[in-house]
Amino acid sequence: MTLLISITVGIIFASSTFLMMGRELKGVCMGVFLLGHGANLSILATSRSPLGMTLPPIISEHTLHQYVDPLPQALILTAIVIGFAVQAFMLTLLVITWRKNKTLELSKLAIENEH
Amino acid sequence: MMNQHNIVLFIIIPMIAGLVTLFTHGKRTQQRVIGFAFLGVNLATALWALYTVLNGPQSILVSQMGNWPAPFGISIVVDTFSAIMLVFSAVVCLAVYCYCVFQLRDRFSGGFFLPLFHFLLMGVQWSFVTGDLFNLFVAFEIMLMCSYAMFTLGTTKAQMKQAYKYVLLNLIGSTLFVTCAGLLYGHLGTLNIADMTRMAMNDQIPKQAIPVICMLLLVFGGKTAIFPIWYWLPDTYHTLPSPIGGLFAGLLTKVGAYVMIRIFVMTFGQSDTVCEILAPVILVSAVFTMFLGVLGAVSMHSVRKILSIHIISQVGYMLMGIGLAMQFKEELSSREWAVAGAIFFIVHNMVVKCCLFLCAGLIKRETGSDELSQIGGLARRMPWVATLFLIAALSLAGLPPLSGFFGKWVLIKEGWSQQQYTLTAFAIATSLLTLLSMLKIWSYGFWSPPQGFYTRYPNAKSKTKGGVLAVGFLVAIALSMGFGSQFYLNICSTAAKDIISPKNYVTAVLGEKYIAQSKIIQNINNTEQKNKTHKTHKTTMIKINNKMEATN
Repeated sequence: MTLLISITVGIIFASSTFLMMGRELKGVCMGVFLLGHGANLSILATSRSPLGMTLPPIISEHTLHQYVDPLPQALILTAIVIGFAVQAFMLTLLVITWRKNKTLELSKLAIENEH
Repeated sequence: MMNQHNIVLFIIIPMIAGLVTLFTHGKRTQQRVIGFAFLGVNLATALWALYTVLNGPQSILVSQMGNWPAPFGISIVVDTFSAIMLVFSAVVCLAVYCYCVFQLRDRFSGGFFLPLFHFLLMGVQWSFVTGDLFNLFVAFEIMLMCSYAMFTLGTTKAQMKQAYKYVLLNLIGSTLFVTCAGLLYGHLGTLNIADMTRMAMNDQIPKQAIPVICMLLLVFGGKTAIFPIWYWLPDTYHTLPSPIGGLFAGLLTKVGAYVMIRIFVMTFGQSDTVCEILAPVILVSAVFTMFLGVLGAVSMHSVRKILSIHIISQVGYMLMGIGLAMQFKEELSSREWAVAGAIFFIVHNMVVKCCLFLCAGLIKRETGSDELSQIGGLARRMPWVATLFLIAALSLAGLPPLSGFFGKWVLIKEGWSQQQYTLTAFAIATSLLTLLSMLKIWSYGFWSPPQGFYTRYPNAKSKTKGGVLAVGFLVAIALSMGFGSQFYLNICSTAAKDIISPKNYVTAVLGEKYIAQSKIIQNINNTEQKNKTHKTHKTTMIKINNKMEATN
């Protein structure tokens, strides 16, 4: 399970890096959002493999082996909320950029800077 | 006297201030007065915390949220180092606020700008008082979110691209931070700074965690703008309006430096393996950061650009202190002085750098430009600003008896006594070039005959009283740091003692009981490793419970 998650995280990080290399801001922003999801998934992996662990995390001595560590999930929840706010901000920024410049190409923004 | 749980106020006061100013955004006077009141209360609380920490019965104030015991709940901790940073961030904020309210155009003096200002302060103070790594991440996010919004507030087309650079790079940094925090939790089983320090002191950091710790250097180094990853700073800071540039220069990069001392010197600095790997990296980076930064500053031709690139060069000195403290494990007093020098330097830099940025703002307001080729003759035009600028600039360059001298002196002395001759040589050369870059602004801007466009069409006398007041306030503090340096250095070395030998910190946060328990766990683990039995952490916990019950 951990191996599967780490491969998935690797693929997500790779594709988000690919997106961020692009010249268009939309793609770059999507890359950053994807990177956030990859990070969340990698934290989830630290709560041990859920295979065969069926019980809810209520502590009693006999069931200790049968639940996953709940703390990483709490961390992810916070990270998701923060990531959501950041995504909303970035999308707003994209809309404003489009309205002002009528382009989302980074290189074209640069040309306008020189005037 | 006040209760130690009052340290939560450092998060609550700016939060309430932000909310109240948000709801009164239509009424400008009301909003500004409320903001001032809250910042005043904030400064008073910070001074109270510093006083209590230095003179009170406990030298470390701890508040456990919801009374959950330490490594499981959220701890809010104020030690001497945090208290120093809290006081000076409150001072810088008050000065910048004063400038903003009196000087800036409407979009930066009222409306939605002031709430952002308070929330930024909340993020900054939160990262000073937090006791665990994940809360640090949350605090960073709040701080950065406000800084993104400030960057893009009413941007022109020209600023748009730079804003993207800043936002995207910081977002990638934050994502890396949260990944590191998650992986660190996976390896250590805790994110509480005190608990991680305890593990490092007992040499319990597993080998697999070390790459993650090195990755944290990338995260915090990016925020602080150290050598290979500082490229975002010179492009972005000069596009900001000067006082906001001053606020960012005074607070944001220094939060990074604070966290680096807290995490790398105090927490993981206790582990020899981490020190051996990171200290050389940090020292080399320090040389490049300080020297390349100052070369960049000398080559620029605009006041704000010189000042923004110069931030990087000053970060180099802080790194030098951190590196020296990590490199030489044997000499305790020498390491303490290196950290004390770094802390003094951070604090000095917060005040002076912010002050210079505010001066740049006043210059721009008077002349309508901050290109060195278009201004001149300001010494006659604005004698007060010229005097204050000169004092601040010479403090930055480190002329005795001004404040910059003492920080650099302590650092260079420690570097020399530890036979880091190349490092100290570069530190001295950087200091000289700093003087050169400041003199460049002085001679072009203030001393040379008036030139350029504005002299033919002089502005009407602009209102600069609030700005001069703010700059004067900061210069007075910088002067007091120079002439009363013994007093300030003593406080810094008290802080440094707790950083270098964090036993007090750990005991105050975790409590005696938990430390005793974790020692038993360690012993059981050791014996089990000898017997080559593989049991999980949780089975050992059951054993401990049984054992403790048996003893009871």
